[in-house]
Amino acid sequence: MITTFLGHELKAFWRSKNTGKSIAIRVVMALLILYLFACILFAGLFLNKILEAAFPHDDVVISFCGIILLYFLFDLIMRMQLQELPTLRVQPYLHLPVKRNTVVSYLAFTAMLSVFNLWPIILFIPFVLKVILTDSGALPALAFVLAILGFMLFNNYLALFIKRKANLNGWVFLIFIATLGLIITGDFKFHLYSVRNTSYLYFGHLLTKPVLVLLPMILAVAMYYINFAYLKQNLYLEELSSRKASAYKSSTEFPLLNRFGKVGDLVANELKLIFRNKRPRSALVMGLFFMFYGLIFYTNSHYGQTWYIFVGMFMTGIFIINYGQFMYSWQAAHFDGLLVSKINFRDFLKAKYLLFTMVSTVAFILTTPYAYFGWHIVLVHFVMYLWNIGVNTTIVLFFANRNAKSINLSKGASFNWEGVGATQMLISFPLMLTPYIIYLPFSLFKHADIGLAMLATIGIIFVLTRDFWVKKLEEDFIQKRYTIAEGFRNK
Amino acid sequence: MIEVRNLKKIYNGVTVVDVPALQINKGESVGLVGNNGAGKTTLFRMVLDLIRAESGEILSNGEVVAGHEKWKDYTAAYLDEGFLIDYLTPEEYFYFIGGLHNLNKAHVDEVLISLTDFFNGEILKKGKYIRDLSKGNQCKVGVASCLLQEPELLMLDEPFANIDPSTQFRLKNLLKDLNKSKGVTTIVSSHDLNHITDVCDRILLMEKGVIIKDIATSSSTLNELEAYFGVQVAPPAP
Repeated sequence: MITTFLGHELKAFWRSKNTGKSIAIRVVMALLILYLFACILFAGLFLNKILEAAFPHDDVVISFCGIILLYFLFDLIMRMQLQELPTLRVQPYLHLPVKRNTVVSYLAFTAMLSVFNLWPIILFIPFVLKVILTDSGALPALAFVLAILGFMLFNNYLALFIKRKANLNGWVFLIFIATLGLIITGDFKFHLYSVRNTSYLYFGHLLTKPVLVLLPMILAVAMYYINFAYLKQNLYLEELSSRKASAYKSSTEFPLLNRFGKVGDLVANELKLIFRNKRPRSALVMGLFFMFYGLIFYTNSHYGQTWYIFVGMFMTGIFIINYGQFMYSWQAAHFDGLLVSKINFRDFLKAKYLLFTMVSTVAFILTTPYAYFGWHIVLVHFVMYLWNIGVNTTIVLFFANRNAKSINLSKGASFNWEGVGATQMLISFPLMLTPYIIYLPFSLFKHADIGLAMLATIGIIFVLTRDFWVKKLEEDFIQKRYTIAEGFRNK
Repeated sequence: MIEVRNLKKIYNGVTVVDVPALQINKGESVGLVGNNGAGKTTLFRMVLDLIRAESGEILSNGEVVAGHEKWKDYTAAYLDEGFLIDYLTPEEYFYFIGGLHNLNKAHVDEVLISLTDFFNGEILKKGKYIRDLSKGNQCKVGVASCLLQEPELLMLDEPFANIDPSTQFRLKNLLKDLNKSKGVTTIVSSHDLNHITDVCDRILLMEKGVIIKDIATSSSTLNELEAYFGVQVAPPAP
């Protein structure tokens, strides 16, 4: 039975919309994934060198033992954020004459098929083979491998268990995250204890007493069993689904937008789209994280103004890039409704411009504290803000007319390739390159300020000529609307 | 009201709609019947300019539908859940649609109060987004948003399919009332022959994209339709 399930799982993978892409995109995706994989593998293969560089005064084995638990602590946080529950896929089997135990073991088994269970293996095992095996012999090395796998599986099932609990009661999630937060601050801020020392305490002893390997293994088995028992008792759709127990949903209004009339109504709808759906919400949250992007570049003096252009563009325009690259796909589910209802497409476009302008303005205001690193940086930000609301919005909307892939709003953003297509690959070139095409010639001849002024001027010209671009985009859209609507209907 | 000329739609070499001529007059109530794949929804979508016809054209009030927007002022339609903005609450959606037709909130509220019976207490103030409603209740939201627009032309695709018997009954009365006392042109498709012959004065029967029958409803229409659909059943093996 399990093999039939696995067969179905494989079919689901190969036949899903995400994998049924054109060859070129699959190649690019495969390259990206391989690259990421190679990076981790590289880190794993040279972990001893990295550790030597990071902790020059300690023995590598000691440092290695120290970081393992630390890794798993952060691993747990990442899993809480990103790991998806393997859930509703069992729905078609629940009413069939299949034993509950089989369904549950299948669920519990597929829960292991997560990328998070790959990283510790490629990150730590090479070190174990390279250093521990040669230094201490086969038995401790085997104990290390098993211990790492044990902690990995423990984390895997703990994260899933907490997530399942959290679906029924949101407080569980908050309390758990708060606990993790306390553990981390207790170590790094208040120095009450040290996770590294605890980690060394365990793994250091593991070197001499391999029998200690039983501890993580028991933990993993126990956690697996708790998960199994919980699933078996709660094999009902409501508890399995990742949909939260719904609270009362009240209607909201944005009084500020009322003065923009119909355009304002459209923006209000789009804001609700962003706040009430998982994937666009995570696009927005990721944008907030980008506000810290500047810290990487501004604290390091060898990045010059050429870099600031890039950083400024990203920080004030991350929403335009991140959310805008999937433009109109967000509304795929009700695109027919939009086309049929009495919405002037020009208003529709103006609403997009207004939304982008609003979010970019907020982002610009949020980045003003970077004045700490000099007012010049704020000036660069302002120039790039003008560039974003002028040029980049138009570029993004131009590509939106060429994008006909629908997006399921309720799925998370991480490792979600739905809606990704040639458009998203192509869009990055004009977004990244155009500001430099204008700026670099001036800066190379030591007139960087003129370059900045040029960027600002072009940005302002585009803002002032918006009506013209709206008209052009509308004409373009009327040509492409059938293709777009058709694409959105094929979910 | 609606005039169709030489309309053709082809998907992968298969003609799914082929209507050489069709005239629907103002104030008519037209029922569209046909088995799955007969081309009903495709025809609806072409009337609403959602898909491009291979050839031919559709005129609404004498103006070509494709590429024009004037018809949106007086046309309301609900084909499927894809017409609803599902992350809004029903109230938000109604105010939004009302706003598009320059109706203020008070006006929208007034219309919604007149629909209290139709909603049967399951739509308003329930604290749910449209996506969390059942299919039947979503259909109610779609139909209500159509009524809100006070259309001259109303198009519904299988509105009876998911709603409960009481609502089916109320919807029939609503449709009859709109047509008879307000003169709204209605085009409704359905698989329920009883309902459709009850509501509509004229029945179009489609088969493989072609309108093979165009009949004014009379006492014998239901039997005629049942005979047609009955024939489709394979005779028992001898």
